[in-house]
Amino acid sequence: MNRQKIAAAALLLLVGAGALGCSQSTVTIHSTKSTAATPLNGTFRLDAGQCQGATVSGTYFRMINPNGNVNTGPFFSNPDSLCANKTYTLAVPGAQAGLMTGTYQPNPTPAFSAEGGALANGIVQPQGFTAINFSISTNKVDPQTSKMVPAPAIFNTNGKLSGQIEAWSAAWNKLYFNQGSPKPDGSDPGLTAPLTGSYDATTKSFVITWTSQVVGGPFNGFTGLWHLAGTFVPAK
Amino acid sequence: MSAVPAGRPTDPVARPKRWALISVAVIGAALVVMPFAFNMFGKTPKGAVMIAEFKPFMTTARLDGFQTDLKQINAGVQQSNTSVAAYLDTGSNNRVSFDSAYPTFASFNQQWPAIDSKMTGMMTEVQANLGNYLAVAALPSFRLFPWFFVIPGVLIFGFALATLLKPARWKWGRWVLVVLGIGLIAAPGVFQMFQRAPKGGQMMSAFKTIETTQNVQQIQGYFATMAEGQGAIRLEIVPSLQRSGLTQAQIASRFPAVASLDAHWVHILNDMTPMIGAMSDNVASYQAIASLPPFPLFPWFFVLPGVIVAGVALAAGSTRKNEFVSEPHDQVVSVPEPQGVP
Repeated sequence: MNRQKIAAAALLLLVGAGALGCSQSTVTIHSTKSTAATPLNGTFRLDAGQCQGATVSGTYFRMINPNGNVNTGPFFSNPDSLCANKTYTLAVPGAQAGLMTGTYQPNPTPAFSAEGGALANGIVQPQGFTAINFSISTNKVDPQTSKMVPAPAIFNTNGKLSGQIEAWSAAWNKLYFNQGSPKPDGSDPGLTAPLTGSYDATTKSFVITWTSQVVGGPFNGFTGLWHLAGTFVPAK
Repeated sequence: MSAVPAGRPTDPVARPKRWALISVAVIGAALVVMPFAFNMFGKTPKGAVMIAEFKPFMTTARLDGFQTDLKQINAGVQQSNTSVAAYLDTGSNNRVSFDSAYPTFASFNQQWPAIDSKMTGMMTEVQANLGNYLAVAALPSFRLFPWFFVIPGVLIFGFALATLLKPARWKWGRWVLVVLGIGLIAAPGVFQMFQRAPKGGQMMSAFKTIETTQNVQQIQGYFATMAEGQGAIRLEIVPSLQRSGLTQAQIASRFPAVASLDAHWVHILNDMTPMIGAMSDNVASYQAIASLPPFPLFPWFFVLPGVIVAGVALAAGSTRKNEFVSEPHDQVVSVPEPQGVP
């Protein structure tokens, strides 16, 4: 009788262990599938920034003052902003409709007008910033640091976006400001934070945000807060 | 004449005093060690960068231009605050309505006197140090400074050591040391360091309160305030003047300071932002140079070792001994050949 009980218990243990093993395998397989990061190669077509009262949507930029923080600032006020809250500078999609991954969208030659206004218009149209236009480009050699940087790369993991955007460069007043994350030397000084966001695989709509501290120049210590929204179009 | 092996009595040979050679060797070693002790190899290149990055701004024309920029802003703010405010406030009995209609300008107007005072004072201070800057910039590159100590130091130490090991070298080695010593004494004169280094010291003192992170952040904050205030004039007040029926030409005629500020604002930004950038970028460079010994001492860092080396080499070379040369395997001496030998 005892032997039968022991045998039955052993059988139950084996079956249980087997079931657990199968279950674990299933979970593992499922987990592998779910955590696979898929590169999104193509164009992140941008929605223009919009202000409706206190609500700001689409693509925009803010600049956090030195010693400020992402949530409460204080933020740099751009008198040329079209919003009531002038700490938001709205973006208008450029000639290439937005940000392209896996390739560069470099500065034109020349990169500036005689007055110092940025002329790059691929990603966004140049926008006024304290009376001088600023714009965005991505370049193989970062124009501020003169370091080689990879082309932007963005990955989708179950609707969550991640990646690197080291090459993101703002131009203004004949000056360049790397606004990438991480920075071209791989660091993440101050409030610099990685690119994150969301992606709807069905509608292909996306929202991307990151922050990047300015290192050097007249805005040293300020931090750019970037908010890109729109629709992803895969490369053919 | 023919050469014969040493080990025979010879002509008198000049012999060094051991203490003298050791003293000279110590001076040489000290010259070599000094740049490392003061971390000059890490700091002086930063000084070279600072001098180079300030160069575009340190001209009379550019510095005068900054003062003009500030005067233009001041004139525009004052005129906005007085005659423009009065014009736009027609029908109102107090300033409250103007300030409430243009709160961004009102806020800027309150902050402007302090900003103007600080910025003008700072630019005056910089302007007063233009001559000092130019004197420092005329010195050899800061990058070379450590080598000005290391190279003579190595030579002095090397000759002193070589002579200690082989005293017979003293005969010519002492003159090499005298020349090196005189070179050290002459270098500050050649580079006019006695005139320029104290000026560098004055510049460093004047920039002590300018080249700080706190000051640079304050200037950045002022810049943000000025940009916002000018934006209020450009995008709120001037359009109000236009809406009141004034043409651009009438605005320029009635409110020339406001029109001038508007017209020159981009130029002011072109002018000022790179300067703020250079100030910001060189805080660490300034602090590295400021942590070196005071500039006025530098000429003496050459002269004093030079005087000691040359003096010791001269003073210690008079001893003559009629003795065997100590290193027979190395030494040959000349003796007269016998008469009649072909």
